[in-house]
Amino acid sequence: MADKLNIDVVTLDSVQCAACGYMMESIAALPTDVQDMIEYTEWSIKNKDGIGKFMELSVKVLPTICIERDCVFESIIPQYEELIDEMAKRALSDDMRDRIQSLRDHGFDFDKIQENLARAGAGAHTRTDSEVKK
Amino acid sequence: MAKQKLIDAYRGKRTDTPPWVPYAGVHCAFLINEPADKMLKDPELLAKGVVNAAKRYKADGIPLVFDLSVEANSVGCDLKWWPDNVPSVTTHPCSDKTPADAGLKLPTKESGRWPVLYEAARIARPQLDELDCCLMGLFCGPLTLGAHLAGVRIFTDVYKHKEFAAEVCKFAGEIGARAAEFYVEMGCDIIANVDPVASQIRPETFREYVTPNCQASTKIINDSGTTSSFFICGDATKVMVEVCKVGTHGFAIDEQMNMNFIRDLARKYKVGFGGNLKLTLALSLGLLSPREDAIVSIAAGGHEGYTFAPG
Repeated sequence: MADKLNIDVVTLDSVQCAACGYMMESIAALPTDVQDMIEYTEWSIKNKDGIGKFMELSVKVLPTICIERDCVFESIIPQYEELIDEMAKRALSDDMRDRIQSLRDHGFDFDKIQENLARAGAGAHTRTDSEVKK
Repeated sequence: MAKQKLIDAYRGKRTDTPPWVPYAGVHCAFLINEPADKMLKDPELLAKGVVNAAKRYKADGIPLVFDLSVEANSVGCDLKWWPDNVPSVTTHPCSDKTPADAGLKLPTKESGRWPVLYEAARIARPQLDELDCCLMGLFCGPLTLGAHLAGVRIFTDVYKHKEFAAEVCKFAGEIGARAAEFYVEMGCDIIANVDPVASQIRPETFREYVTPNCQASTKIINDSGTTSSFFICGDATKVMVEVCKVGTHGFAIDEQMNMNFIRDLARKYKVGFGGNLKLTLALSLGLLSPREDAIVSIAAGGHEGYTFAPG
């Protein structure tokens, strides 16, 4: 069983599309304690892997944030607390749920955004010949 | 290529055939075999790329740049440059303070990359005039610029810290008004307020933070006799009535919108509308035939206030 909460952000392209960029940033700006509990990836539908993920998750609109394969935020950039609540609902254990909920009043953290975005491959797979290795 | 036809369509008037605008953006760089970042920093290359794209696509109008980082960069946001894409904003000076507390000042013609755009427009404009092609100025709208200034927290602040969000979006609207002035001075025929993230909020939030902060820029454009538009991206269904009422002569939407719905709404509010050749599914991925898709768009758009364009 996976020990991290899986988040897929399905985008047009987080560099070109501002809405997609801020969907990605909403995850990348989560506090470090949350970062330790999640694994997230940008899936740009400019490449085949992204289209595959779009179909697999039954995404209807771009951008969409999927948490544990549920399309949760569809063309709505989430508020911090909304993100925390939706992640907590899908936590993989009671302990994880409690840890996530304990951070509900923390708020976004902008110190490591670029590092976190790079880790998620944001903007790195936006060509039609790109592959997303997952 | 027909400037007046495009202006008429953007203002909601009837045209014999729909005019056409390719939002070429950094594709202009690809067409002249140059990296996007190099073209965007070099006025001569930028002018060359834009004029070349206008000729190649027989455009009735073409944006000088389609780059929503210009305004943010001109007030101090740092950028990450890409060889095959527009730059992305990497720092948010208002992530923990208001624009006033961060010491931000409204841009001048000398700020950031505005000198590059002025020079590129000076070179490109007469060549586009000769082609009977409109020069279009696109600037970043108040909510997207608010996000560039404050980061993703702005989407929480619009509900939880309204005073802060209002201050950031007001400042963003003031920057937009300066950008509109600059584009009027450059001689643009059409100027559009581009606010892609405005599709990601609720209608009441749009009315509270976007509509009021578009008024100054729209007045500057309209009072100068220039044609105004509002561009929005994504699934903007829930805010489209607000878009129609924002005060510009028209609007443009992207591939996720239904063109019949958009046409009927635009006609109801007597504004121009543009779209929505499928940028991703047809032009980029080829999953749909661009030709068939174009026919569908043109058939739905019709001849009244409609501009054929990628979405």
